[in-house]
Amino acid sequence: MLKRFLSERPLRLPHLKPYVPRPSDPSIFWFNSERDDIVSDVVSRICGALETDRSHLELALNDAAFHEIRRLEKQRDDEARDRLGYWRSMIRRVAKMDDSEQRRVLHTIVTSMARDVAGNFDPRVYRFARQAVPRLIGGVMEPRRLSKDLMATAPTALDRVLRVQGDLEHLQQLQSRGSLVFVPTHSSNLDSIVLAQALETAGLPPAIYGAGKNLFTNPIISFFMHNLGAYRVDRRIRVSLYKDVLKLYSQVMIERGYHSLFFPGGTRSRSGMIERHVKLGLLGSAVEAFTTNQVRRIDRPVWFVPTTINYALVLEAETLIRDWLTEEGQARYIIEDDEFSRIDRWVAFFRKVVGMRGACIIRFGTPIDPFGNDVDETGQSVTPTGRVIDPGGYVEHRGKPVADPARDAAYTRELGEVLARRYEQDTVLMSTQVVAHVLFRALVQATPGMDLFARLRLRGEIALEQEEVCKAIGEAQERLGDLERKGRVLLSDVVKEDAPSELLERALGYWNGYHDSTAARLEGNRVVLHDPSLLLYYQNRLVPFAEDIADPEQLEAACEIQKLGAHR
Amino acid sequence: MTIRVGVAGAGGFGRAIAIASARHGHDVMLWSRSARDLPESIHVSSDMGPLRECDLIFLAVPARHAVDAAEQLGEVIDGRHLVVHVSRGLVGAELKTITQVVREKTVCRRVGALAGPLVADALAEGRPSGAILGTGFPELTAMVREAIGGSDLRIYETSDVVGVELASATVGFLTVVLGYVQELGAEPGTLAVLATRGMAEISRIGVTLGAKESTFMGLAGLGDLIAAVAGDKRPESRLGRALGLGAELGTAIGELGSYVEGFEVARHMIEHARRDGLETPISSTFVAVSEGRMGPEDAIHALMERRVGRE
Repeated sequence: MLKRFLSERPLRLPHLKPYVPRPSDPSIFWFNSERDDIVSDVVSRICGALETDRSHLELALNDAAFHEIRRLEKQRDDEARDRLGYWRSMIRRVAKMDDSEQRRVLHTIVTSMARDVAGNFDPRVYRFARQAVPRLIGGVMEPRRLSKDLMATAPTALDRVLRVQGDLEHLQQLQSRGSLVFVPTHSSNLDSIVLAQALETAGLPPAIYGAGKNLFTNPIISFFMHNLGAYRVDRRIRVSLYKDVLKLYSQVMIERGYHSLFFPGGTRSRSGMIERHVKLGLLGSAVEAFTTNQVRRIDRPVWFVPTTINYALVLEAETLIRDWLTEEGQARYIIEDDEFSRIDRWVAFFRKVVGMRGACIIRFGTPIDPFGNDVDETGQSVTPTGRVIDPGGYVEHRGKPVADPARDAAYTRELGEVLARRYEQDTVLMSTQVVAHVLFRALVQATPGMDLFARLRLRGEIALEQEEVCKAIGEAQERLGDLERKGRVLLSDVVKEDAPSELLERALGYWNGYHDSTAARLEGNRVVLHDPSLLLYYQNRLVPFAEDIADPEQLEAACEIQKLGAHR
Repeated sequence: MTIRVGVAGAGGFGRAIAIASARHGHDVMLWSRSARDLPESIHVSSDMGPLRECDLIFLAVPARHAVDAAEQLGEVIDGRHLVVHVSRGLVGAELKTITQVVREKTVCRRVGALAGPLVADALAEGRPSGAILGTGFPELTAMVREAIGGSDLRIYETSDVVGVELASATVGFLTVVLGYVQELGAEPGTLAVLATRGMAEISRIGVTLGAKESTFMGLAGLGDLIAAVAGDKRPESRLGRALGLGAELGTAIGELGSYVEGFEVARHMIEHARRDGLETPISSTFVAVSEGRMGPEDAIHALMERRVGRE
């Protein structure tokens, strides 16, 4: 009951006096004064598109009722008791309703959905969060420093663990000229928290984002997410109208100049691989926001910032790889029982990473326009040869900007491909990933002809000479260095600077003590592989580069590893 | 409504597209260094600059010149333009398609590939014919239909761009194979088996590159191959027959007077298939024959003795 209450009505602080935004405030500060207008814009556009054709309208209502009845019948909870009656009665009456009643019902449903999606922005919560959250997390990492951290202005433990990379000045210059859409890779539920902190560290504005409704069941997270502008996404709802509301809400926000953030992968990468296929729904909303502004002659460009989030240690690694290896993993979007939902794992995780220099690297890539062209510091789209072009031309048909959803869908697919390439180039390979790759490749080499699952069962059965492992790590570092010089990938400082034996020791140290079973352990002069599934998870980041960093003897194993990427 | 049509390349196909577009009443600008004997209504320029003013641009150069041409085009066009290519080839060992090249070398995104059993003469003269356009942009199909389509040319549409380009590029090699066995006196049934199984073999590779199998069985693949076998006088068919008469590959290509890229494409595809663990019996056998590593009888024997599976 409480869960439902919190997810439907997140707490808000009382307002004694409305906050009047200052010109220097980020765009999100205007959100509360515009929220009703945004909701009614979304409602009128969706209803307007459907109301002109009775058959479309009736189909939309039937679809909504059918999917909601199906969902609620399965849920059998308080929400089902409250809402099932409404939908059952509605589906019986739809065909008998006259046009005006159908329109009224549609308006009610869409308004309710749009209000449920829309968030809130409270400057007081924002100010508190930017000051306190990093210090509280820092306190969890180093409890002895908590009192000092809470008072001091010096960098917290979180600042030491988190590294922000990229041409930040470039992004800072663009933030006031158009809408920035941050599109990061997604590995962990911590991503949105870490990214919010990275934006703060980088001097970039806060961005609105869609958070799964399941995250709103935690009262603290719910309070912060709701009051920091996050909009709620209920992935259980399969209704087409609801998806339209979500997309249009995102689109309208971007059209109005709100910086946004969404994970184009749609869900956390279960395999640990770099996302190669992105979901096009929200991405498309940003492309259509650009088109709509062009058609309306509003000079407010939209730029995408491909961003990679790179962890040496992933909070939910065990659950994610287990999920990937089981059939349901491919389709299970909502995991409510992973490490993210367990406070003890949070504490263990943060305590583990506190000693890790740059354990998390956020890399903001070069901004691009909706058509994949680089954008310079002044916000102009440029060709690879430096010629300035007008991005508005992409939505012109015989000289005039026109709305064309089919064309924009095609642009979105292409943008998805561009993002996938950028993710690969902008991925920062971490120590655990490189070491895991070398160990997993050795496992494949040692077990020719064996299938993946048989290999994963070899817990503690494969032992490798430490000297050989270090030699292979050194060679991998060298070849990865070559790839970095060619612009194909990036390496963390420790991967570049550590001696192979240090890198091995570092990775083993990271795994040991956080995960339920360590991935590998040094026993005498041998490295024993204890959990090949975890090694697989961490090494999967290197799948696209496996063949490039293998010597001729390792090539067969590398090819086998690279083939794993075909199933991404 | 009049479209400003640009054509880059004045080979057989480029000229035919220019003539067909002019016949449909559109403004045509042809980029060529040496075009002659064209209707007066077609403007010719040896500089790519004027193509900037066009709405729709056809890239009509052989695949081996596509990179250079796209690079030059990239200096003058932008996101406003719609580009369609008619090349029947791929670029390099990574089997890069021409639309990929256009996307890399230009900032144009509304790109497509026109393929199928379309013959330059028929297009220029307005004889009934058909083609397939692979593009993700429906507006591009609409504009190409308006530019050169109509009652004399049916242009079908698919979003499987990669499939169209791969099928189109590999039909050339299969045409050589069929020309070769025709010269050896193969029966129609033998030709049909080779054509069908050859296309199935290529489609398996195509699927690994992102294409749809059905595209290979449509106008871009089997449709085009039927036209080639039925005798639309392609150089690939003549090359196959010359090889069947015992000519050496290099000499036969030299005597042909036109460039045939089918073998290069086939070699790259075989290499790609090997890496993916796919079998390529027909392609591998005929590449071996063309390189003199296998005689005709051994080739037939090798293919006929293989284990027969399900279709």
